[in-house]
Amino acid sequence: MVVSIKDGLKLIGVTIICFCAVYVCTFMLNYYIDVKPLGADITDERLSALYSAQIAMAKFTSIITGSVLGVIAAVMLVFYVKLYIDGRARQLGIIKAMGYSRIKIALGFWVFGLSVFIGCALGFAAGWASMDMIYGSMTIDGVGVISPSFHAWLMFALVFAPAAVFTALACGYACFALRRPVMQLIRGASKVRISQSGKDEKSEKDRKFLTEMSLKTLGSKKLLVFFVAFSCFCFSAMVQMGLSMEDLTSDTMGYMILAIGLILAAVTTVMSVTSLINSNAKNIALMKAFGYTKTQRTLSVFGGFIPFAFVGFAVGTGYQYGLLKIMVNVVFADVAEVPDYNFNVPVFFITLAAFVVCYAAAAAAYSVVLNSFSVKKIMTEN
Amino acid sequence: MIIAKNVCKSYNGTQVLKDVSLEIADGEFAVILGASGSGKSTLLSVLSGLEKADSGSICCNGTQLETLDDDGLTAFRKREVGFIFQQYYLLPHLNVDNNVKLGASLAGNKAYRQIIEAVGLKDKLKSSPAALSGGEQQRVCIARALAKNPNVLYLDEPTGALDEATGREVLDYILKLQHEKGFTMIMVTHNVNIADTAETVIKMNSGKITEIYKNSARKNAYEIGW
Repeated sequence: MVVSIKDGLKLIGVTIICFCAVYVCTFMLNYYIDVKPLGADITDERLSALYSAQIAMAKFTSIITGSVLGVIAAVMLVFYVKLYIDGRARQLGIIKAMGYSRIKIALGFWVFGLSVFIGCALGFAAGWASMDMIYGSMTIDGVGVISPSFHAWLMFALVFAPAAVFTALACGYACFALRRPVMQLIRGASKVRISQSGKDEKSEKDRKFLTEMSLKTLGSKKLLVFFVAFSCFCFSAMVQMGLSMEDLTSDTMGYMILAIGLILAAVTTVMSVTSLINSNAKNIALMKAFGYTKTQRTLSVFGGFIPFAFVGFAVGTGYQYGLLKIMVNVVFADVAEVPDYNFNVPVFFITLAAFVVCYAAAAAAYSVVLNSFSVKKIMTEN
Repeated sequence: MIIAKNVCKSYNGTQVLKDVSLEIADGEFAVILGASGSGKSTLLSVLSGLEKADSGSICCNGTQLETLDDDGLTAFRKREVGFIFQQYYLLPHLNVDNNVKLGASLAGNKAYRQIIEAVGLKDKLKSSPAALSGGEQQRVCIARALAKNPNVLYLDEPTGALDEATGREVLDYILKLQHEKGFTMIMVTHNVNIADTAETVIKMNSGKITEIYKNSARKNAYEIGW
């Protein structure tokens, strides 16, 4: 009753991430389960090493993809629930004032689990649809053609269990967030930390106003800093990994990693920037009314995030290099024909250029939205 | 019966209520009158159990509010209290029927549609809040509050966001419903004219009650100035 199904389905970002995670885990785990029993029959030493490497890669990829994307989906879900509660604090406050307990209100947040269920179900279906192609690309010469078998428990583990866990997470976090006193919810007051020390005030005076505003925006949106950095991390890591893996894996796998990276980067960018713009709409409208230029207004919102975007990119570069190095040197250590892997400098520069172009284009597109706000429209909104 | 004794409340070191004491009888309509910042809304919050007072005691129909924790206050509000605020805060995705049901389901009130009819919204049952005028939205709030059969109805500037004609209409509904159902009603307002419709007027200034008086002759919503 508190949250509509339409609201629950707005978590398209969570749906997409769950889709990606379950998609990869479905065929990787299914492959692992189907191929694992064949190990006992392989006597050839070279085949055995290749088989072990394939099994290890399937397991490794599932664990990494499932856990990393699962954590990100969980963080995004909590973030959405927080945004929902903050955005509707007054309505929720009224309901609490009427005498509804926070547990009862929080149970209404079950609908947020729907987006997870849909993402997982579609991911599982897509994983199955591409199973034959994936099995074909992962065939081990000498072991024979393996056809995929359906495992009901895997469907439960990848579709129903995550949906249940994420539903519980949404309700649990809502219950925690609704601990705020009724009047604080009704007044829509949020915790704003204002510096009390004279030292800070002095240093603030020394800074330019726009720099100050940019830093304040940054300080009040720490979770968004993480998402902006994460989107750049995804772009950097997955694009470089996808383009650097041509000697290590099939083209299909490389394109898949590239596609997942781009989807993740796009989803997290859209989500974080949209949230950033919405939460700064009034400030921007006021700045516009006061006569600040378009560039000044855009920089006051986005400016503070630029260094973190490059940090995300740098960490992503290091991560993909480290991960591929580990895979080559540890996971595939016993496989004779695996080529050595070195840092791919041309791919790094191509990705960096693409990153700058893509994110500059996104910032330009969003600055159009940002500067379309009018004071009258914003201030008359309740 | 609501009895408050020596109630004090501060926010960030600023004392908003200073030793406030009052008594409101069952079925009485009291108006708390004061300028902005006089502490009237804070008094309403502590009397209704939305917030706890820092000191003093408040007894509402036999329940000592200062002894209750957050869950206890929630149960108290569920059992005793209805609210109408200046802003409507209806759930946008629920239609009129379901918004009122939100209050009714707390009290297990299956006859809540009679209240929707009483506030003149029988034809708007399936309308969404966005399709209603300000006055109609406030009437939904009235129905939502009354649908839980409260013993005490608290109103914080219920006509503050409405134009004169709609304000009078809404006030008229509220007064008629209070007269018919006989619940206790405490309304916060800065409008001195609205005070003429009440039985008891509690005047506040700078966190203190400066005067409490009874109106010898109450006026209706269409007899007062605006």
